[in-house]
Amino acid sequence: MFLAASSFEPYNQGQLAVTLTLFIGILSIVILTGISGQISLGQSALMAVGGYSTALMIINLSMSLWIAIPLSIISGGVAGLLLGTVAARLSGPYLAGTTLVVALAIPSIATRFDSIFKGDEVLEVDVGYPPAWFVRAFGDPTYEMWQFYVALPFALLALFFASNLLLSRSGRVWRSIRDHEIASALAGVKVSRQKVFVFTISASFAGLAGALYGLRGSVGPSTYPTSLSLLLLTGAILGGIRSIAGAFIGSVLVVFLPDWIDLAVHSFELSEQVSNYLPALVGGILLILTVVLNPAGVAGGSHLHKHK
Amino acid sequence: MDTLLAALFTGTSRGAIYALVAMGLVLVWRGAGIVNFAQMGQAMFSTYIASSLIMNGYSYWLAFFVAIAAGALLGVFLDLAVMRPLSNKKQTELLSSASMRAAVPVIASLGILGVLQALAGVFWAAEERGFQAPFAQEGYTIAGRVMPFTSFDLFVMSVVTFTLILTVLFFKKTGVGLAMRASALDQEVAKLSGIRTNGVRALSWAISGAASSLAGLLLTPTSNLSPYTLDLALIIGFTAAVVGGLDSLPGSVIGGFILGFVISFVNYYLTPEDIYLAILAVLVFVLVVRPRGILGGKDTRRV
Repeated sequence: MFLAASSFEPYNQGQLAVTLTLFIGILSIVILTGISGQISLGQSALMAVGGYSTALMIINLSMSLWIAIPLSIISGGVAGLLLGTVAARLSGPYLAGTTLVVALAIPSIATRFDSIFKGDEVLEVDVGYPPAWFVRAFGDPTYEMWQFYVALPFALLALFFASNLLLSRSGRVWRSIRDHEIASALAGVKVSRQKVFVFTISASFAGLAGALYGLRGSVGPSTYPTSLSLLLLTGAILGGIRSIAGAFIGSVLVVFLPDWIDLAVHSFELSEQVSNYLPALVGGILLILTVVLNPAGVAGGSHLHKHK
Repeated sequence: MDTLLAALFTGTSRGAIYALVAMGLVLVWRGAGIVNFAQMGQAMFSTYIASSLIMNGYSYWLAFFVAIAAGALLGVFLDLAVMRPLSNKKQTELLSSASMRAAVPVIASLGILGVLQALAGVFWAAEERGFQAPFAQEGYTIAGRVMPFTSFDLFVMSVVTFTLILTVLFFKKTGVGLAMRASALDQEVAKLSGIRTNGVRALSWAISGAASSLAGLLLTPTSNLSPYTLDLALIIGFTAAVVGGLDSLPGSVIGGFILGFVISFVNYYLTPEDIYLAILAVLVFVLVVRPRGILGGKDTRRV
């Protein structure tokens, strides 16, 4: 696969890194919404926390990115803990609306306190260059492929932890909260505490995704817009919100679908106006169709997972 | 003192518009059981229609009423095309959990919002346009001083007051209004009494669509028209509805004015960038201290 990838153009190679990054982000939604039933539109805010903390540590503290990126797991987790204490008492539309406001409010902190966060003058970070031993072993990759190689270990880490979580006792507890909160409470589950816990864990995934997302080049208030939350949610629903395979399918869809649509309509001579917005239109329609016709998504429909 | 007056006046006229947005959300919440996150997207769509009519030479007032009618029609269309199939879905495993049943309509409405914003791009290139107000936007001059109150503000206040009175009369005095209240209270019993709950639900989407289009028409002159300008209005309207009580129409009005004042004061005394944090603070405060809102009903849980 690596050989094939190195024959891609740099643009597509860059997309591979984004796919892995969004995979981690969509995993956060699988854990939070698919397994535990808490709907959150605020994952972009948590990504922003991870991205900003990593960028600030790299720039201000001259940390290596291999230390700064894992620390984003912690910073994301802390933010998730704070969010969880409020969110645990909410459900349904209240939870959705509140997390949406959070998604809008958190990035505005960057402009509000621009002495620390630099506001619109974005923080510039990138993944640097591969170390010498890597070049000796694998040859000199392009910058975009190096982005992919940086993201890969973290994606595998996320995959490992997510699959363990889903199969663990916590995963079962979260599923019980999702399916029947009252019965779960009667069975002795401390529901509020578990909700805070799942928000924290989910946010640590989101923080990691945010750090990798920011390392594409710059971290600024517009790097983590609310539409990013919606993008993750769309990917989760389309791919299958209850499984890891679904998260991966979702991330591939979200990253590559616009290009596939462009390819498909290439032969029709559409005006620029239409072709610019066609991917967004198709994405929205697919989301509605999926939710109405097959809410379990691609992975759900084809039973690509053991536990749901 | 001048700043205080300006803040108060702006707060009142904006608060009235936010009350409209909140009312639309409460209407669909009570009539259909979901929070329609696409509501201001519908408003944006109608306002683009109005704008295109005006740009093609039609009068403002014609465009105004066409937009409101379009808003109502769009609302009904969305109910029939998306929400009704959603509520008729057979039980699948995913939908057997209560939290997913609550989440699915939210996600559907977000999908609708995305589609509407993309369509605004397809039809109108998502271009930012100015949108005229039907009345002057300069302050009145009284006794030589320029008041922060414009004739447009007066127009907004009177339109919203008129709409609110109309809505209250509709719900309290007409048979259809009674039917809607009955459906919101208990759908099964309403059906048994012969009320066509599907029609009632479509009607709440229609009224909400009209109200939100009106809000969009009144909000847009003070900024500009683009697919995303009204997103903030949705957040504010949602917070206003929560503050007043998601179940309560009078509450949404109160909530609208409260939010109007809060935002106006933040704008004048702090910085506009603080608005999002201020809204979040209000929302979290209400949800922690009094989750059902000011006029919301008792929070019962069925076990």
